[in-house]
Parts: sequence; structure tokens; C-alpha cells
Amino acid sequence: MERSSFATRSVQFAFLALVAGAWFLATETGSISALFLPRPLSVYAALERLVQTASFWSAVLVTLTTIAKAFAIAIIAGILVGYAVTRSKLATQVIEPVIAGLFTVPITLFFPMFILFFGIGTGSKVAYGATYAFFPIALNTIAAFSNMEQRYLSAARSMGASSFDTFRHVLLPGALPVLITGMRIGFFICFASVLGGETISSVAGIGRNIAHSAELMESARMYAWICFVILTSVTLNLMVYSFENHIRSR
Amino acid sequence: MSDLAAPMKTSAPLSGVLAKALLSPFWLRVALLAVVLALLEFYGRVYADPAFMSPPSLIVKAFFTKIAPQEKILEALWFCVAQISAAYALSVVFGVLIGLAIGATAFSRTAFLPIILLLFAIPQVALLPLVILLFGLGPAAKIAFGFSHGVFPIIMNVVAGMRDVKELHLRAARSMGASRMETIRHIILPHAVPSLFTGLRLGMTMTLLGVILAELYVSTGGIGYYTRVFAESYDPAPLFALTGCLAIIAVTFNELVRIAQNHLTPGKRRSPTLKIPVKE
Amino acid sequence: MSDTAISIRNITQRYGAADESSAVLALDDVSLDIKKGEFLCLLGPSGCGKSTLLNIVGGLFKPTSGTCLVNGRPVDGEPHPDKVAFVFQESTLFPWYTIIENFRIALKFQGIAQAEWDDRAMRALKAVGMASFAGHYPEQLSVGMRQRVNMARGICVETDILLMDEPFAALDEQTRMVLGEDLSQLLAATGKTIVFVTHSLAEAVFLSDRIVVMSARPGRIKTIINVNEPHPRSPDFMLEPRFSELRNECYALLRDEIRAAMAAQRDPQPQNAGA
Repeated sequence: MERSSFATRSVQFAFLALVAGAWFLATETGSISALFLPRPLSVYAALERLVQTASFWSAVLVTLTTIAKAFAIAIIAGILVGYAVTRSKLATQVIEPVIAGLFTVPITLFFPMFILFFGIGTGSKVAYGATYAFFPIALNTIAAFSNMEQRYLSAARSMGASSFDTFRHVLLPGALPVLITGMRIGFFICFASVLGGETISSVAGIGRNIAHSAELMESARMYAWICFVILTSVTLNLMVYSFENHIRSR
Repeated sequence: MSDLAAPMKTSAPLSGVLAKALLSPFWLRVALLAVVLALLEFYGRVYADPAFMSPPSLIVKAFFTKIAPQEKILEALWFCVAQISAAYALSVVFGVLIGLAIGATAFSRTAFLPIILLLFAIPQVALLPLVILLFGLGPAAKIAFGFSHGVFPIIMNVVAGMRDVKELHLRAARSMGASRMETIRHIILPHAVPSLFTGLRLGMTMTLLGVILAELYVSTGGIGYYTRVFAESYDPAPLFALTGCLAIIAVTFNELVRIAQNHLTPGKRRSPTLKIPVKE
Repeated sequence: MSDTAISIRNITQRYGAADESSAVLALDDVSLDIKKGEFLCLLGPSGCGKSTLLNIVGGLFKPTSGTCLVNGRPVDGEPHPDKVAFVFQESTLFPWYTIIENFRIALKFQGIAQAEWDDRAMRALKAVGMASFAGHYPEQLSVGMRQRVNMARGICVETDILLMDEPFAALDEQTRMVLGEDLSQLLAATGKTIVFVTHSLAEAVFLSDRIVVMSARPGRIKTIINVNEPHPRSPDFMLEPRFSELRNECYALLRDEIRAAMAAQRDPQPQNAGA
């Protein structure tokens, strides 16, 4: 990305100020119903009230546990399947396009089946999130291990490396950046799909609370939840971004 | 090793050619699909609880007995297709226009691309109840949600395609006396075409996701209503059949974009293979 | 009019401000006259500023100081496509256009009337023996064929001056030599002025009337070597003892420069053992 100057930063701040200003003006002048867009201050007040309730933290805990379980399953399954596929060139040629093709179809289509198989509780969300995150992780694992340049492997073999040595010192370090990319993409897809699953059909969690406040027409509370999710995801993005830079720069 | 057999290839008998064709990745993929279907059929008929699982043959049968004769369901499916088309058309028009505007100069790119990336990083599904509240239960909300998913990958790939134009190509054009407009028209835009198509394909995947999320969330009408009815009645065959219809719709849309890409990319240049919606 | 095609006067090119420690002096007070119909090679170690000089002559870069005259008119950081054509590496053929479209676009950019496009393009393609590939995309041709076409694209605009920036760098030695022969024939047939940047010694000796040997950074003209051999040149020229002598002379001149350039990229050597 190019270096940003003072002028480009100003444009970005102006954009944010414009959005905030438009929100403030539209609600203060009453040109939009508070049902659709509550005043910024009442959203802030709702958020403040929300974080003091025990139900807020239990909802957050439910969602976080669901994401953690789904992501763990996706990593294990994705890397195992991905690595196994790359052991054979033919298997890579046959299976990689199948996984890539399935990934262009929204897995969300099959969400009702997850509910059917795993019930309306957190189990269906774990399975749904894990399935969604499986694809980018498996695809990146395949890409990471199958794109390894043959000359590195030949070089290692000519130096007398055992197959474990080759894996440990050539294959794995070479694949790691792409593996990490897969896990990052998988994580954010997992995050969004668990949230989506909770929103569409569930009994607990953050997504359920957003949908529930919408059903009750409690706009301020709904906006408070949405703000919480956006802040969390922006923070997570920044954290993961700097973590990845840290790993790469080593 | 197979390398040793390589010199034989030229004089391989017909059966060898046939065996080679059957062992091609395509036919192996077909075989894999057949095996999976057969296993599902066997499992569904012998072991599975019929309240949860249905063998593929019964799903196909359910399509003809419980989906195809019901005009309301067919109408809901057609609605779904129309919404996807509308949302995608909006995504393409606005995605390309906004992308061109942002990609036109280095300044607009450095100023606005971070804003686009920030917006793209928001898990939009958190806004789904809000979108329904704003746009109602009808098609407007579904089109809006599909559009808001589809537009970002298109913008980002148009900008990336224009940014990655080769310095040497620009210099060559300048040495030939090309004006700024001619450079954009004949160098920068054609260069961005493969990346544009990457964006169009990702945009399609995301539009499908947006529309289907909204369809499933609204369970009082449309596809969402029928999936809920079928799921709650513990009659999985029509549910699977309905899902299958949606999957076929999704695959068809994806294929249409892919065919367009293959026909409309000048110079038969391949775009970076579409695999993962990589965020920058 | 004089018989000078290009006149380079005291050109200095600096990257970064003069007072910055990171400032790089790419060209230091370079002056050179290039005669009409001459084939001149700029030869030097990588980073000696030979490409920069060519880009300044072509009007693609503006020098920090100094002037460059083409046919007596100053070039001021603006390309003159009617007088000067550039040939870069083969990868500057636009991959989204077919070969013939690549020619048309070059002629369009140059402001030639549309009626002449195909005529000129086919003439240039025939000159390099590539007319039957007009409808192909660059990707469908081999690298050597692409460079042939790329050269023809530089020819079709029919300028008096051709600037070539390491055009054969991506090619193998054999293809280079064959294309070099073609170029020599072209020069003899058309009387164009050609300025050619290369780091290949054999290529420089085989093609040039004069070889300008440049020093490592900052780029200065070290020596000018005359090659007295009429164009078109045949491959037999390479077998003559004179060819090897000239080649060795160039190598001897460059060797020190290359060592100097490489020394700047190595571990610091202890200057004095006692310290």
C-alpha cells in the first residue's frame, strides 16, 4: 500500500466526520424516525447499560466459545485434509477444484440442514462455522504445499536431508506464510458465519441478541450491539494484521 | 515410475488411450461424485433416521412431487433468481464506477481505498436485522443486502487491476505519444480486465451469500418460510430438494460469470485463479 | 543542417535532493554527439545510468541539469514520437491486443492517419518476416518472435531515430545474434540512427559503429571505441581477430568498473591490518 500523506489522511477523517455528522444531523432534525436511526447519544447510553448486564457477557461468552470450537475444528480438519490431498499430484488435481468450486457456492444454503442435524443450540453454529472456515484453510494448505518449488526439495535432498528434515526445514517454513493467510481468512469467515447463524436461527449469542432487539423494535439496543460487533471486528482485524506482519518480518 | 513408460505413449493401443482419458482429473471427479452419491443413497436407505436424512433418489422424487407442483415455491425460487440478478447488476454497475473513480489517480486510491477496506472488514451479517428493519420483508431488503455484499470485491479488484499496470507499458505508451485519456483507454483499462473479472466472480459469490442470508432470515415468506416449514415437519427430502435447487441456481450464476470471463478477456489472459476472497 | 542527430550537453541526473545522504548521482556531466545514420551502443555495468541517459534522450525523464538536442531541437522531458521511436524489451507488446492491433495503437498514439495504419504495419512485419502472425496475441508467440515483432513496432512509426533499451535482454545468446544481424541489415537499408543500450560485449561490438563505455556510478563516459566495419555485417565478422580484440578491449575497460560496482555491495574489507 502506498504511503499516505497528510492530504489523504484528511480525506479519510473528513469521510468519518461526514458520516458521524450526517447521523447526528438526521436524528437531531428528526428527518428520520428514531425507530430506524436512533440518536448517537441514546445508542451510547444503550451500550453503556448493555455492558453492565450479566446477559451481555453471557451472550458474548456463548459466541466466543462457539467461534473457538468452530475455528479449532476447521483448522484441524482443513490442514489435515489439505496436507493429505497434496501427498498425491493426482489427488490435488482431482480434489482441489472440487473444494474451490464448493467454496463459490454459499454454504449458507445448507444452513437449514445444520439446524436439522445439530438442533437450534450452539452445536449447529459450531458445525456451520467450522464448515465455512474449513474451505479457505484447506485451499490455502493445498496451495501452500503443492506450490512448493521442486528445486528447493531437490536441493535439500542433495544435501542429504531425511524426509522429516525436509518437512521440518523446507516444506513447513516455505508453506507457513500461505497457511497463516488461510487461517486468517478462515478466522474472519468463521466469525461472520457464527454471527450469521446466530442471527438467522438460534437461542443465544450475539447474533441472536441483535435479531431479538430488532424483533422488539428496540433500535437503540440493536445499534448498541451492532456497534459492539463492528468495534470488536475492527480491533480483531488490526490485531491479526499486526500479528501477521510481526510473524512475516521475523 | 510412470516416467519410464513415457516413450510408449506414442504407440499406445486404443485401450491405453481410453484408460488415460478415464483417469483424467475430470472423469475422476465425476467418479468421486458418483461414489459420494452412492454412499449417501446406501446410508440413507439402510441406516439413517428418515426424519433427518434422505437418500438422493428420494430427494429427486421429492422435487417432482413436493416442489415442482407447488407454484408458490417455484414463484419463491424465481423471486430469488430475480433478486440475485438485480443485486448483482447493481453491484457491477456501482462497483465498476466507484472502482474506476478510486483507481483513477494515486491520490484518490490512497485516500479512499482504506475506507473501502474498513467497510469490507465489517461483518455485514450483524447489520442484517437492521437492513430488514429499514427495507422491510420484501425484495428490497434482499437486493440491498446482496448488493452490499457484492459491491466491495468488485471495487477492490478494479482498483487493484488499475494500480498494478506495468510501469514499462506506461512508459512505452508515453514514448509513442499517447495522451492521458488514450493511456487510460488503451493501457490501464485493458490491463485491469482480468482483475475486474476476478472481482466479478467474487462479487457473484458474495451477492449470492447476501441474498440467501436475507432470504433465510426472513422466515415469514419466500424461501426462508419453506425451509422452516420443511425443517419443522421433520420431512427432510423436500428441504434437501429445495436446497439443491438453490445450489443449482448458485452454480449457474457462477458459471455464467465464468463463461463471460473466458469470452470477454482480450488476449486470453488468465486472471489470478479465483479461490479465496483475499482481503488486503 | 549538420550531420548530428542527437547532441547531449552536460547532462547530470541526480535522484533525491543534493544535500540528502541517500541522494544518488546517476549521470555526471555527460556530453556526447551522435551522428546521423550511426549505430551507437551505450555499454556499462548495471546501474551506470545508461538506460537513464536513453530515457532522457527519448524525453521520458527530465534531467536534473543539462540539455539534449534532437535534430537541433531541445528535448525537455517530453517525448517526440514523430522523431524518436523507443524499443524496450519484448514484454512491452500489450498482451490484450493482437500483433496488428499493437501496431495500430502505436500509430494511433503517434497521430498517423488511420488509412495508413495497416499498410505500414504489414510493411514493418514483412521486413522482419512476421506478417503471417498479425492476428496472433503476443502470448501465442515465442519470446524471440515477440522481440522481432517488437522491433518491427519500433520501425513501423518510421522515425529517423530508434532508441533501444536492452531489447534483447530476455533472449538467449543465439536468438540475440540472429536479431542483431536483422538489425544490422535494417540499418544498412534505412539509414536510421540507432542508440542501443546493452551489457553484452559481443552484441555491442557486433552491432556498433561506436561503443560508448560508461563508468560505474556516477555514470560518466570512460572511452569511446570505434568499430570500422560497414553494415550490414555478417556473422563472419565475429570470426575475425579484430572482433575478439575489440571485445577484449571492452572487457578490460569494463572489468575495473564492474569490480568497483561490486565492491560497493560486499562486506567492508579491512583497509589496514594494523587498525
